[in-house]
Amino acid sequence: MLLRIDPSSAEPLFEQIGGQVRALVARGELPVGTRLPSARDLASSLDVNLHTVLRAYQELRDDGVIELRRGRGAVVASAPDHGPLHEAISALVATTRRLDIPPATAVALLKEALR
Amino acid sequence: MRTPVPHRISTTLTTLVAPLVVLGVAALVAVSWSDELPDPVAMHWGTDGPDGFGSLASAVVPMLVVGVLLAVGGWALAFFAGHASSTRRIAAGSSLGMSGFLTAILLGSLDAQRGLTDAAQAPGITTTLLVAIVAGLALGALAAVVTPGDGDQPATQPIAADAPRLTLGSTERAVWRRDAFSRTTLVVGIAAVLVVLVLTVVTRVWPLGLLALALAFLLLTMVAFDVSVDERGLVARSLLGWPTLRVPLDEVVAAGVATVQPLKDFGGWGYRLGRGGRTGIVLRGGDALEVRRTGDRVAVITVDDAATGAALLNTLADRARARR
Repeated sequence: MLLRIDPSSAEPLFEQIGGQVRALVARGELPVGTRLPSARDLASSLDVNLHTVLRAYQELRDDGVIELRRGRGAVVASAPDHGPLHEAISALVATTRRLDIPPATAVALLKEALR
Repeated sequence: MRTPVPHRISTTLTTLVAPLVVLGVAALVAVSWSDELPDPVAMHWGTDGPDGFGSLASAVVPMLVVGVLLAVGGWALAFFAGHASSTRRIAAGSSLGMSGFLTAILLGSLDAQRGLTDAAQAPGITTTLLVAIVAGLALGALAAVVTPGDGDQPATQPIAADAPRLTLGSTERAVWRRDAFSRTTLVVGIAAVLVVLVLTVVTRVWPLGLLALALAFLLLTMVAFDVSVDERGLVARSLLGWPTLRVPLDEVVAAGVATVQPLKDFGGWGYRLGRGGRTGIVLRGGDALEVRRTGDRVAVITVDDAATGAALLNTLADRARARR
């Protein structure tokens, strides 16, 4: 798996890490049972604080994306089928483009609705 | 432009001269015992003691020939293709280790027959086998330890323009990571350990248990690797942490994807030397990450999604070189 972070971005680093893992799992690029690198290894690879990675992993665990197992580290948990969600997102994107709504507005509306 | 193979004198000493001296001295010692030895001597042992006999020469000559062939083969490999310290180390270790193992078997079995009139009375070979395994491993490890390492060899040229890259913002950091695992090694390794364990129990030659232990250790060092590419370069670390293959960013000449056929290119699976002096972590056939590094060294590791790993390695190496 390829993970990238941008320290100059406004988005907090733990959210960048968590968001990419979420996307990889949702797209099926990290199948169920895949072992993620240990928090310590990932922190030194990306040259970030250990607590940044731990916070990302904890949020992923709270949302059921991964399981944290003693001794085995972080493992991708079984996820529900995301197929219908991807279809709905495609439809959302198509509608946004058709109505010529700025992406930021669409994202803001989506965030509001999911709150 | 080819860089010459380094450390040729030390390679010749540890991989050719030392094993030949060990073999030669052992042969001389064996011949010097000829008056005290029965004729014929015992050469082969079954579960109930010696069961194969022959002249002293027929015991010494095959050992010498096998030992010399192994030493010359190892030396030629290290002398002509030993750009990487791992190549020279493996060659020196196996040449000297095998010479120690072979001579310990020969001298141990003959020593136990000195003063006997009938070789059929020769005692069992269990202790000799144990001593020979330990002597072989110790001499092999010694040769590997004294083999000089590669040292830092920072590149002076930029990464080849046609090598794959990926887009990475100037403030972005990235890591690529994969687990690489060998089903073949696991299956063959477990089978080998079980066979030796069963043999140990059936023949009651307990030193063979040591061999099973050594095989199990070897299996654990060769079966699974953690591969990563980040600011530290390429790191492929085995399950046990040893062996670990490292290619720092400043030694990358270019990374790419190669197709590996384990038997044809590397003669099998595991941490291996391949054709053209390549160092390979060979866990399966198919796509592999191939890194050409400074000093005419090439490292290969069979891993999924090697294209992404290679592209990131080139990209990070570009960046590291621009910073210098």
